[in-house]
Amino acid sequence: MNLTSFSEFCAQAVKEGMLFYYTGEYSKNVIAAMSDTLRHRLDSTSLSAPARRKIFSTFVEMSQNIMHYVDPDQDGVKVGALAVGHNGGKYYVMCGNPVRVEYVERIKEKVEPLRTMTIDEIKTAYRAQLRNDEHEEQDEISKGAGLGFLTVARDASEPIEYQIVYRSERQDFAEFYLRAAI
Amino acid sequence: MQDILIPATAETPEVKFLYSTHTLSITGESYPENAMVFYAPLRGGLHDYLAQVSEQAKIEAHFSLKYFNSSSTKLLRSLISLLNDAARAGKKITAHWYHDPEDDMMMEFGHDLQDEFGTLELNVTPFEPA
Repeated sequence: MNLTSFSEFCAQAVKEGMLFYYTGEYSKNVIAAMSDTLRHRLDSTSLSAPARRKIFSTFVEMSQNIMHYVDPDQDGVKVGALAVGHNGGKYYVMCGNPVRVEYVERIKEKVEPLRTMTIDEIKTAYRAQLRNDEHEEQDEISKGAGLGFLTVARDASEPIEYQIVYRSERQDFAEFYLRAAI
Repeated sequence: MQDILIPATAETPEVKFLYSTHTLSITGESYPENAMVFYAPLRGGLHDYLAQVSEQAKIEAHFSLKYFNSSSTKLLRSLISLLNDAARAGKKITAHWYHDPEDDMMMEFGHDLQDEFGTLELNVTPFEPA
């Protein structure tokens, strides 16, 4: 990227109200550093404590999803992208990461229904999953409580959005992008 | 039995489990990437303690969490579940779930626990103003 592109990139980020953008290697240390930074930025706003909690929660769920589910590349590195910003009176948190093509349908099945549920339906589904003690035995791919996407949907103030992007240079991987507005 | 004392870190809460005074307090924030690693020893300690504690002991548990991630959610519920089982077996337990007074979702979470674990005396209370 040359300086002209970089200055355009910076101007675009400002225009979109971006507070925070990261792309690259994901590790425990990177997440810890981002958590600190985001905390400081949120604490310097006049947002209510619940709003700050929801933004931070969405950031944590998305970051930990990347840590849990992204396959390390040939150098053993997990790669993902994450952005937090503010425009149109709402905060947004977005993430993007590679997923194996065979998992695309599984992700769609989990995320798509959340887009049409009311907040009460999301809370009911969250409660049911919280009380589902068989989750670990039933779902061998899931590494958590099966509550990640539900938590993101519950904290969002409008339906979560997602995109699957196929790039021709990688046959076995697609890119999964998720956006939540708070 | 040995008390369990774990200082808070950026992503894990402070834990004080004092057998001598029969009190368990979990305070702070809980968002470790793998909550099982953090909570499994505590759950084991609580399980063993509840199995051997006298029915005369007055046990108190305080859950005072500003924020917890989805991975911690199930483990916190499992601690409440252990307390509920012990209450059903005749142990005297009072539990407290504290939430941010402004945060309805965290309050609802406490009420959901009350609904699910009916035997346990579980009070859902706003945090004291700082």
